Amino acid sequence: MTSNTLTRSHLTRSHIVARTALALLGGYVFTWGVIAAGTALMYGAGMAFHDAEHLSYIIGILVYLGAFLAGFAAHKLRRVALVLVGGGALLSAGAWLLQQQLV
Amino acid sequence: MFPQFRHTMAWLHTWFGLALGLVLMVVFFFGSLSVFDREIDRWAIPDTRYEPQPMPSFDRMLKPIFETVQPNAAERAAVAGLVDGPLPARFDTARSWGAYTTHRDPVLTLFVGYQVPNAKDHETAVWANRTIDPRSGVALPDDRLKIGSGFFYPLHYSLTIEWKQVGYWIVGFAALMMLMALVTGVIMHRKILRELFTFRPNKSAQRSMLDVHNLTGVAALPFHFFFAFTGLVIFAYVYFPVTHTQLAPLHDKHEQVEAKQTGLPHERAGSAAPMASVDAMVLEAQRRWAAKGMAGDVGYLNVQHVGDANGYVSIYRAGTDRVQLAGEGIHFKASTGTVLREDPPPTLVARINEFLTGLHLQHFRHWLLRWLYVLGGLAGCACIATGLFFFVEKRKRQHAKQGVSGARIVDALAVTTVTGMLVATLCMLVANRLLPDSMPAGWPWRGDMEKYCFWGAWLLASVHGLWRTAPVAQARLAPAWREQCLAIAALAVIAPLLNWITTGDHLARTIGAGYWPVAGADLFMLTGSVLALLAARKLQRRDALRAAAPAPMLEAGHA
Repeated sequence: MTSNTLTRSHLTRSHIVARTALALLGGYVFTWGVIAAGTALMYGAGMAFHDAEHLSYIIGILVYLGAFLAGFAAHKLRRVALVLVGGGALLSAGAWLLQQQLV
Repeated sequence: MFPQFRHTMAWLHTWFGLALGLVLMVVFFFGSLSVFDREIDRWAIPDTRYEPQPMPSFDRMLKPIFETVQPNAAERAAVAGLVDGPLPARFDTARSWGAYTTHRDPVLTLFVGYQVPNAKDHETAVWANRTIDPRSGVALPDDRLKIGSGFFYPLHYSLTIEWKQVGYWIVGFAALMMLMALVTGVIMHRKILRELFTFRPNKSAQRSMLDVHNLTGVAALPFHFFFAFTGLVIFAYVYFPVTHTQLAPLHDKHEQVEAKQTGLPHERAGSAAPMASVDAMVLEAQRRWAAKGMAGDVGYLNVQHVGDANGYVSIYRAGTDRVQLAGEGIHFKASTGTVLREDPPPTLVARINEFLTGLHLQHFRHWLLRWLYVLGGLAGCACIATGLFFFVEKRKRQHAKQGVSGARIVDALAVTTVTGMLVATLCMLVANRLLPDSMPAGWPWRGDMEKYCFWGAWLLASVHGLWRTAPVAQARLAPAWREQCLAIAALAVIAPLLNWITTGDHLARTIGAGYWPVAGADLFMLTGSVLALLAARKLQRRDALRAAAPAPMLEAGHA
């Protein structure tokens, strides 16, 4: 890594911690939402339960990888946080609502 | 994070790669060994050195064993905290009996799950596991450790840290970081194709390390991506227990619907019933598989609700001839032997899932592919190790100038995980041949002693690594590498020699008899010994060369 002053100034410890926490935990919340919503949606659409679950896992792992990278790549920390955590919460809430209908 | 995207990716690759590379090294190495876990078991338990056996007669051999098996002290201890009051001296009600074997297993694994009468949660079961010789029915002593399938394999996916499943989470995070490192590695290096053909062994250590890192990383990229990805898919239910928490109601509903559809009772009826001939059920299952054009052996047999009117027997086919873990299960009513259900052909999604996980778990019979897996896994180790070397080589001069110990600490950790791990593995195998047949009273079990030797040797190698990497602080090569290479070279000869002395199975005999599980393990170690010796020589030469003229610095700007 080049050690020019411009990049060094970005790289405070708190910034690294915030980025890591966001990418990991935010990514986790978002992925959870994708898996929950995916499972509920596909089951609701008539797919076998474990098929819906497994397909959601397969998609979810790739989503997590993307979310983790996005957490670091994005310029605006706050916007990624909003998308990952907010989006994850929305998806989970959607899954919960769908479950109410299905059970 | 940085203004330039590639810069951010390079930062991620370097630092998360470094932090999790140490874990990944362990995962890749023991994953590679796990490809031959059953064969390592044969090496470690000489009493089981015979040919793989088919499932023996249930009625004549397995049933009497199942009826007498009780949990041992260790198995009882596992549930001691889950009950109100003391555990009963004997468990009477068996929830299930299971028997499992593969085309590589001479031995048969049996497990019995008993109801625990005073359990806090009525779902709690106490398990009794036994391994038997299917030719005689004689059980293997409890104190034997299947070093391959019972230790190296769990190390691969859980680091054997069972507490709160912490080990699974660490390995899962490492696997995610492997995927990240592959993606960011590709983004960092735009000239992917050229790197596939670049290796400059005679340039500086730093340059040739980077070449090997890129070469192994790019050449085995699909393999590495696939294994890290499918590993995560296999344990996704641990990392994202969505259907057992948030969507538990939906899961419960599905189970009720499923029990209705399949006709397989979820609970006991409460009235006793005798058991019909299971051997006849096995014959019927095999007849049905053959009728579908997939004649095969039984891989897994399970009796649910043992001794109850609701009891049923499930018979699954051993998946030796296809990648998917398709069991083609056929279920019989235990009391009458009538077929309750034949599993329908898998759906498209199930086939995709079984293909992904099956390709990772490789239950199929294909020795060439098995060896390619080992080579792919070892290429992963080489990629990670050279990444660590490069990290140290790149920084050690600068750190030496600044008086910072970063490069030295990383080098010590690299010694621990690269050569230290090999030392520990070989010490375990040496201990396996040197420990008394059964430990004296008051000592831990033989298998536990082997584990202690493994961890003890690893700790010693780590201390040695920390001590003998001191010269890195002066930007020199750490003698720890060469010394541990020599230790590996010696141990990897001692272990096969001890195998010869203690069992009489020398290479001429095992190769002559075509007994490849043991011959292969010996040859693998001896090859490792030669490679370690070559590495030690090369390191010595490099050290001498460097003492004469310091190597040039790599061009600046590389991540």
